[in-house]
Amino acid sequence: MNDQQRVGISEYRIAGAPQKLISYGLGSCVGVILYEPELKLGGLAHTLLPERRPGMGEDRPGKFVTLAIRRMLRELLELGAERDRITARLCGGAHMFHPPPDDPAHTVGQRNIRAARKTLDELGIELSGEDVGGRIGRTVEFDLATGKVLLRLVRGQDKTREL
Amino acid sequence: MTFSSLDALQLDTLRELSNIGMGHAATALSQLLRRGISLHVPNLTVTDIAEVPTLLGGAEKVVAGVTLDVLGEARGNILLIFPQQSAERLLGALIGTETTEPLESQLGASTLCEVGNILASAYLTALGQMMKMVLIPSVPRMALDMAGAVADTVLIELSQSGDRALMLETEFHDNQTGHDPIRGHFFLLPDPETLHVILKTVGGEQ
Repeated sequence: MNDQQRVGISEYRIAGAPQKLISYGLGSCVGVILYEPELKLGGLAHTLLPERRPGMGEDRPGKFVTLAIRRMLRELLELGAERDRITARLCGGAHMFHPPPDDPAHTVGQRNIRAARKTLDELGIELSGEDVGGRIGRTVEFDLATGKVLLRLVRGQDKTREL
Repeated sequence: MTFSSLDALQLDTLRELSNIGMGHAATALSQLLRRGISLHVPNLTVTDIAEVPTLLGGAEKVVAGVTLDVLGEARGNILLIFPQQSAERLLGALIGTETTEPLESQLGASTLCEVGNILASAYLTALGQMMKMVLIPSVPRMALDMAGAVADTVLIELSQSGDRALMLETEFHDNQTGHDPIRGHFFLLPDPETLHVILKTVGGEQ
């Protein structure tokens, strides 16, 4: 069995040790990681938009920040995860393009980040780390065995960062 | 209209439109670089948005991308993707081979944006003439990074109206001998909500 599972755009996955979840090339998209360290269970979502608008289907919960977080939390709880032990990390939400946006606070990346923080806050899930914004693409690798989240970049000084 | 419901004739119509538009874009690039430009046969792909980074050569491949919105009666996005080395060679050819102006500099980024602007304008003018409508490119934007990260902004825009993307893609390269070619990919991603406008004006819709 392949221990490494790819989480594509608008998907989310739940996995446990010794698996790894990986999302390639997050730009404005936001990666949301939930982790329960005792059971070594967690999830990774590769979300595109802050939230579902009326008329949009719900067949892809991974597409929306708010919905993806709620679904992942529900599935983790169903698998026996202890709510108080679950922590979250965020990455992505960049603005990739030059020239910079007219209104830096309202790029889709920033809106995605705000939606994620707000949803986590509402659910009472601790945000234990984040690497968001800027003008860089990020690949995120989440190791369920250790709980480590590694970011790979192709630009800038540091090519890897740990969350 | 959904992309999946297009019939063979409609797909051919779209391919032919793109082919003509791309011919004009290639002529513009050829004049800019003062060298021949060859075009490959256009590809039309209807795919899940999640698969687009793979079709761009892999989500982690480093590319220079220029994107423009198509404004007017028909809407969509244009994405111009160059492998990093091709983009550097392109800058070398335009700015001068002695100065290796990095892609990340103001001049490098602006130059690449201008190339995008020229290609997109030529392409859209040709399309607009055939469809008897005005199509205008927005101000171009440029990014140098992983293909997935460069493309996801465009995909986010598309994803507001569906989970599938229709991509008209043409690969091109220059014909200069004695060095590695400058290669690029030109993508048109029509907005699903205005696709019917395009098909209707060219008589492709039944």
